[in-house]
Amino acid sequence: MSGTLLRRDAALAWRPFALIGAVLAMYAGVVTSMFDPELGESLRMMMEAMPQMFAAFGMASPGSTLAGFLANYLYGFLYIALPLVLILLLNSRFLVRWIDRGSMAWLLAAPLSRRRLAAVQAAALAGAVTLLCLWIAGLGLGFAAAMFPGELEMSRYAAMNLGLWALLQLLAALCFVAGCAVPDSRFATGTGGGICVLFVLVDMLAGMDEGWQTLRFFTPMTLFDPVGLADGTADLWPAAVLAGAALALYVLGIAVFRRRDLSL
Amino acid sequence: MSTPVIEIRGLTRDYGRGRGVFGLDLTVEQGEVFAFLGPNGAGKTTTIRHLMGFVKPRAGSVRLFGQDCFARAGELHRRVGYLPGELALPEELTGAGMIRFLAGLRGWKDTRDAGALSRRLDLDPRQPIRRMSKGTKQKVGLVCALMGEPELLILDEPTSGLDPLMQNRFVELIGEARARGATVLLSSHLFEEVERTCSRAAVLRAGRLAAVQPMEQLRRGKSRRYVFTFPDPQTAAAAAARWPGARAEGVRLTARVQGGESLPSLLALGAEYGARDLETHGLTLEESFYQYYEKEAQP
Repeated sequence: MSGTLLRRDAALAWRPFALIGAVLAMYAGVVTSMFDPELGESLRMMMEAMPQMFAAFGMASPGSTLAGFLANYLYGFLYIALPLVLILLLNSRFLVRWIDRGSMAWLLAAPLSRRRLAAVQAAALAGAVTLLCLWIAGLGLGFAAAMFPGELEMSRYAAMNLGLWALLQLLAALCFVAGCAVPDSRFATGTGGGICVLFVLVDMLAGMDEGWQTLRFFTPMTLFDPVGLADGTADLWPAAVLAGAALALYVLGIAVFRRRDLSL
Repeated sequence: MSTPVIEIRGLTRDYGRGRGVFGLDLTVEQGEVFAFLGPNGAGKTTTIRHLMGFVKPRAGSVRLFGQDCFARAGELHRRVGYLPGELALPEELTGAGMIRFLAGLRGWKDTRDAGALSRRLDLDPRQPIRRMSKGTKQKVGLVCALMGEPELLILDEPTSGLDPLMQNRFVELIGEARARGATVLLSSHLFEEVERTCSRAAVLRAGRLAAVQPMEQLRRGKSRRYVFTFPDPQTAAAAAARWPGARAEGVRLTARVQGGESLPSLLALGAEYGARDLETHGLTLEESFYQYYEKEAQP
């Protein structure tokens, strides 16, 4: 019976998923094609000219390896912002819109416990994020193999992607909790999305200026350091923290949904 | 005695400013067709939300088949067919898609009697819901609620948007549900519909139960308004003077008749004064009910 619900989710998800997936593919292709091992030097000069600008978008040290280059130009910002858009859309379609429009009455009237209902929708969201991360990782592998065979360091590239997956799960779980907990569903997407965007902005601010460094402790983005993962200077344990927090938030969302009143 | 199908004890839910339900007690036995009446904001839908486990009672208890409506909602809903007052069908589906979706959620391999129900309600479920009229959507909702012959039907304003022919079909379908021993709770504004389908009716007023009456008693209290139009105001006034409680306004005379015994003499009066037109207005069920109830309450 949850298979029926998952099929409905898939039907609601594939269009936005395909759209965001296509946009990501375009960026991945363009950015990968711009990689030039010799170009590293001129980029370094540009970065020295305006370090804050680069730092704000998570482009701390333009790497000379392909993994470092991708970490800089894609994993620092684009691969977070675009998937966040998809997360908001899907969380709205899987959960918020059902409540907001009142169609949740039909789901709740079905012989499906609330725990089950919320767990299926959380699984659908987490599954979509995982699929997106696989797509992102596959894009890098594909373009690298086509344009720069042998340039991509697999273990470090895998670590970057794992880190990204954990961070995106945390953002998705935050949006899910907002969808479950915000009493007025009209504000649920805005609340979840707002918190996530705030985290990104705080991270950008913290990266721009030394004086803002303490801000790093107020955003989970700090736990994802793609450039560090690409050049091997960062550990993978922060990803485990992110993934653990994401799981806890999904469970919290389900617990809140079970208890809440839904005046449908 | 067997466990009542619906058992509400001291249900209280205060939404502030007098809205909500307050200390509601109600029992519906198996096989009853029970009507829930009352003006908007009286607490009908609030009570139904509690029965469906959408909201938790602040005080009191709400049970279906002897089990808690909130805690056991998932299991209970196997036995319940529900029609929301606000339909809110997912716009992107077709009617048939919605029926299949709900059948799937119920764990059925097929849609059981949904095809036969659609034919009886004259519904073509293949079109997209967003292009359906209010009445057609209502039919989709009814098929979704009635399919699979549930033991208990909870229907919030089931005939809203249906034309008189389809209201008749609905009455038939409820009659059949009753014949197979199902229990029905429905909310309605239409006296005729309730009169023809229900065995008992309850009136809610400002979140409190004003009264619960068997249909037979309610029928006796039914009253109508008759409005005659006379050639001139003088005639209207003269006729009004001969009928207790009648009011004349210009050329129009309004009289009220309860139970129908005195109708022939009212018609004779109208004929005597040369009435040119006659309109009849059925009182809404609440009005009739209050009227009846207030009369009973008098010494």
